[in-house]
Amino acid sequence: MMQEFKFVLYAIKKNIQSSAELRTSFLMNVIGMTINNTAFILLWVFFVKSVGVIGGWTAADIVALQGFTALCFGIVFSFGAGLRKLPEQVTNGTFDRFMLSPKNILARVCTSSFGVSGLGDIVFGIVCLVIYGFLIHVNLLQVLLIIVLVVLSTMLFFAVAVACYSASFYFDDATFVVSGLFELFFTPSLFHGGAFQGAMRAFFMFVIPALLVGTIPVEIVKNLSMGKLSIVAIFTAFWFVLSIKIFNHAIRRYESSNLMTFGG
Amino acid sequence: MKEIRLAKKIFKTLVKDRMQYPARLFADTTSIVSRFGILVILYFYVFNLKGGSINGATFAMVAWSMFFYFSFSTLGLSRISRMIMQDITSGNIEVLLSKPIPYLLYRVWWQIGLGIYPFIVVTVLGALAIALIIGVPKTMTIPLFLPTFVLTFVGAIVVSLLVYAVVGLIAFWIEDVQPVYWIVDKAVMILGGSYLPIALFPDFMYKIAMYSPFGASVFVTHTVYESWATVWYKLIGIQMAWILVLGTVIYFMFSKAVKNVSVNGG
Repeated sequence: MMQEFKFVLYAIKKNIQSSAELRTSFLMNVIGMTINNTAFILLWVFFVKSVGVIGGWTAADIVALQGFTALCFGIVFSFGAGLRKLPEQVTNGTFDRFMLSPKNILARVCTSSFGVSGLGDIVFGIVCLVIYGFLIHVNLLQVLLIIVLVVLSTMLFFAVAVACYSASFYFDDATFVVSGLFELFFTPSLFHGGAFQGAMRAFFMFVIPALLVGTIPVEIVKNLSMGKLSIVAIFTAFWFVLSIKIFNHAIRRYESSNLMTFGG
Repeated sequence: MKEIRLAKKIFKTLVKDRMQYPARLFADTTSIVSRFGILVILYFYVFNLKGGSINGATFAMVAWSMFFYFSFSTLGLSRISRMIMQDITSGNIEVLLSKPIPYLLYRVWWQIGLGIYPFIVVTVLGALAIALIIGVPKTMTIPLFLPTFVLTFVGAIVVSLLVYAVVGLIAFWIEDVQPVYWIVDKAVMILGGSYLPIALFPDFMYKIAMYSPFGASVFVTHTVYESWATVWYKLIGIQMAWILVLGTVIYFMFSKAVKNVSVNGG
């Protein structure tokens, strides 16, 4: 376990060093992504200004929502960008090299690539959460809650992403199926929390856990709701175990293409 | 004549290709359903809270306006910039430039051909569903609506292709245009009236949407509002102006860029 963790850290370090070689492109990607994400804040802030507070959600809550979501997305898809290449690798047979590796396959797949733009998401996420902290004058407990929730949400985000990307092994034209499935999970997590009421809220919490990534964490920090915190923790553990099982089951369906591919 | 034959051939090939891969249609449909579906529910809730009307716009108007944005986006015209960038960075551009067909025109037909099948399926099914569930606002039943809608739709296609082609051509000068693409794409998303319908725009934002090429590339979202009857000629005029300006920019960019390409053969 410890050895796998050391390998993951080493792979991430090497990936960052390699990406940073193209300095201009590296910086442009980070800055570009940060500006790109600001668009969602602008949209929802204008929304709140035009229609007022909906479902108790203010402009500050929107900032926090975007912060949580961007941070989870950034951490998972910058350090684990290889996961996004899984459908392509399964289709063209380059997945062979992971099967032959003595390391943990999932760790090897995820750390096979680094997403520079994800760093922009991380920067953006941190800035948003800091701004939120100032806007609502957070106390120490809320700061701790934010840190715990970032960890839980990121684990949940990673688990659901693994489950979605495991579909690569079940379909011939998997790239599009996977992107459709992931879209179903990710898009609702970016939306105004006040939009989700009643059955729709339950659906996007317990069936597709999109709201557990950003919406519910914001409400936990705001209302100091320990009940909701335990829901997030339980579902994170559940999805984590489930996604690993799904991934391990899925790779059994892989058929080698006998391509001679090395490296990465 | 040769250009029309080329376009027809590309369209036919790509539509046949797309029909063979239902998974791609699934991806396009889930993308629309997950975004548009949730937005419609959100605005249904908002309009109920606000007594059925905000800034003179009804829920049906807002729903159709957003639907036009999302169905237009299934055409995938923005991808032309990535295609051009890939051609440039992979070196494929030198092969394409040596062919007896105009490169940019080839890319334009290719892009429309790729998107036309999901666009038709999603638009027809989506429009039927919205008409049955939400209904059709009066503003869409006046005689002026259909002809002006078609005009502004064609204008929107041309402006979109020009805007994104400019982004793609920048790849001749900088190594990675992806960040530029993100910024332009988000400007189109905000000013096009995607998540926030134009009826809810603050004044200054409405003006930016009206006079910028980013807003002009999705003017179809304006057609369902009552104001359309009085501003349609102005908006279509703005689209024409942007087509002229961006067309000239592309002409000069492309002529300058082509001089930088060295065809090595082999």
